[in-house]
Amino acid sequence: MNRTVLIIGLVLTAPLVWILASGFGKNPHAIDSPLVGRAAPTFALRQLNGGETVGLTQGGQPTVVNFWATWCRPCVQEHGVLTAAAARYRGKVKFMGIVYEDTEERIRAYLKRSGAAYPTLIDEAGKTAIAYGVYGVPETFFIDAKGQILYKHAGPLNPQSIEGYLRKLTQGSP
Amino acid sequence: MISIIGQSMILVALISAGAGSILAFISAKKDSAEGTNWARRAAQLFSILLIAANFLMVYALLAPDFSVGYVAKVGSTTVPTWVAVVSLWSSLEGSILFWGAMLGVYVLVSVRDLGDHHPEHLPYFLGVLLACGVFFTFLLAGPANPFTSVPNPLTEGPGPNPLLQNHILMIIHPPMLYGGYVGMTVPFALAMAALLAGNLGADFVPRLRRWLMIPWIFLTGGIVLGGWWAYEVLGWGGYWDWDPVENASFFPWLTATAALHSVIVVKRRGTLKIWSVTLILATFLLTILGTFMTRSGVFNSVHSFTQSDIGPTFLVFLAICFVAVILALAARMDRLEGGAGVRDVKSREAMFLLNNLFFVLFTFVVVIGTVFPLLVEAIKGVKISVGSPYFNAMSVPLGVGILFLMGVGPALPWGVASVERTKKALLPPLIGGVIGLAIALPLGLTNGWALATCFAGGYTLVVTTQQFGLGFGRRGLMGTISHLLGPDRQRFGAYTVHSGVVMIIVAIAVSHTMRSHSETTLLKGDSASIGPYSLTFIDVENTVEPHRRVLAARIAVEQNGQPIGELRPAINHYHTQREPIGTPAVRVGILSDLYLSMMSYETKSGKLGLRAFINPLVSWIWFGTLVMVFGGFLAVLPRRQT
Repeated sequence: MNRTVLIIGLVLTAPLVWILASGFGKNPHAIDSPLVGRAAPTFALRQLNGGETVGLTQGGQPTVVNFWATWCRPCVQEHGVLTAAAARYRGKVKFMGIVYEDTEERIRAYLKRSGAAYPTLIDEAGKTAIAYGVYGVPETFFIDAKGQILYKHAGPLNPQSIEGYLRKLTQGSP
Repeated sequence: MISIIGQSMILVALISAGAGSILAFISAKKDSAEGTNWARRAAQLFSILLIAANFLMVYALLAPDFSVGYVAKVGSTTVPTWVAVVSLWSSLEGSILFWGAMLGVYVLVSVRDLGDHHPEHLPYFLGVLLACGVFFTFLLAGPANPFTSVPNPLTEGPGPNPLLQNHILMIIHPPMLYGGYVGMTVPFALAMAALLAGNLGADFVPRLRRWLMIPWIFLTGGIVLGGWWAYEVLGWGGYWDWDPVENASFFPWLTATAALHSVIVVKRRGTLKIWSVTLILATFLLTILGTFMTRSGVFNSVHSFTQSDIGPTFLVFLAICFVAVILALAARMDRLEGGAGVRDVKSREAMFLLNNLFFVLFTFVVVIGTVFPLLVEAIKGVKISVGSPYFNAMSVPLGVGILFLMGVGPALPWGVASVERTKKALLPPLIGGVIGLAIALPLGLTNGWALATCFAGGYTLVVTTQQFGLGFGRRGLMGTISHLLGPDRQRFGAYTVHSGVVMIIVAIAVSHTMRSHSETTLLKGDSASIGPYSLTFIDVENTVEPHRRVLAARIAVEQNGQPIGELRPAINHYHTQREPIGTPAVRVGILSDLYLSMMSYETKSGKLGLRAFINPLVSWIWFGTLVMVFGGFLAVLPRRQT
């Protein structure tokens, strides 16, 4: 038995396996938003149903801002989750949906079929999406009462994940 | 019913592989020919069952039978037949099943090829091969079972990943890559058998080299097809971005290429045996590392499968393989020593060794750059990425060095060379380097490394041409050609591969340093120019397809004032993708490509954001690969027995 080869081989293998194992349980695709922990960009956008302009100002009520489109299947999947959460947290958390690269007719037809529990806003030329650094849809921002972004969720929300965010946003009280 | 049959096939295959592997090792120890024969039968049964399980899955996808778990995940009634078939490798479980079929084919053919030629090696070979088979069938039987039964099946499924349907290359690229990855199991098992039997004789080396060459050809094709796909589909104007999964396919290629050269030294000089065996073993370990990278969800890559449960199982297998290889090397390497060693630094074998060191250094550079972000995150908890600047800075000098050694090595004789002979061999090809520079400089190439590449490329091309023409004076043109295609076919194949490599490396250097691009915003009727081209925005077309929405821009193209046609770059919104994906439009040319990528389109203002590239010599990369693959096949075809 060549001990030198044995020792060198094992000494090289052990850290490699450790490094590879350290990656389990982490999501390498997660992109940390530089906006998290900072003031949310303010906006004032036209509503789809023609009502008054709705916006986000610094401070006020905790707010959930969801960027979505009808052509995006994960957005359609999470629509029911967001609608149910908006009903559950009515009066405690404000919800807003911002349309991303879609047409008003398609959005109107979709909401007629699936129902709307909160304002849907039209983002002319995608300026608000750019301000929030939206990479793709759906992306959801959880903003606290001081107007600071606490969390960003990329991809569809499920009942468990949204409940977790909302509990933290409202500090435990559903 | 299909689920039950499929699971039964996998289970019997698993038992066959396990029993066959144990029996083979016992037979090796007891020197039992009968035991080895039974292990061979077990290997054949294992292979047939895995191949049959794949046919069964294809049948289930074509039916489609949504009571089969994998069909429920990727099947659909609306997709065309070819899409249903390629769905086999479109997702994790199916890709492992397809891996199994490939392994089955390799096992059947290699066991038949080995026959009774090497009775000393055969039981070890079967034992190692089937031990690898155990792991993959275990995955199929447990964590990546494609034949799970769906209790209340739906009548429709989501269909495969839309990107798989986007380009014909995505259909060919995965099987080619798998052909390379899976095939490396055979040279690994042969090298382990040589190590365990303590015999790497001259009669065994050609077979080892052939079985290394076959997956190397597939891996070469697979890697370049992946680059071609990225170029034709992703819209960023490039073909290689040092992504972890791209790197994962590249590092086994580097060590396999090094091994293909070192086994020639084993054959010719009877030396570098341990080195060659180690390179082959490392190649297999790197393919498993690469597969782990693609399937564990640990690495951030555009190509990888999403988070899956098989990562820890793969890591355990990787660790077992590393330990088994280290133990085998430590225990048996002394038995393989032999040969005269490298006696003269001016010899061909010395240059082969130097070339090997360059390849190994290259492999370290790529492995370290790929794993480094994971190391930093594990220690400091900070996410970093190692990008092109590191990889390019490290790989360019190594690539130029390898290219130059490809010329120097074959120019030198085997054994010992006098100074006079060395000068006579090495100096005349310098004219090729000078011609390379004389062509590059007037064309405006100013980058130092790119010029060095052209010099080395010219030098190597002259040496390669000299090698093609060896014996020309004696045999004449027809005699030389018939000699190259006949008894000298392996050498001819190898130098054909070298010609392809010269084309590719020069093309990479030129395309990287002489690429020009421009970004512009156009309204309908507006024009922009890049190089000799004038681009006029005509209109946009919006098409709705079942799986995506396509927004395509119509661009009229003129070259030096003459209309040459229309290009249609597009942006696709897939229903199942978060991010829109562009489809560039490429006008391929011999000297340069015109590459248009649609960046954005504002419906209200009618503004089109367009990016245009002129990419020189990119088509040489694809053609050079064809030359390499052709040369590889020439080299691998067995000689006609006389």
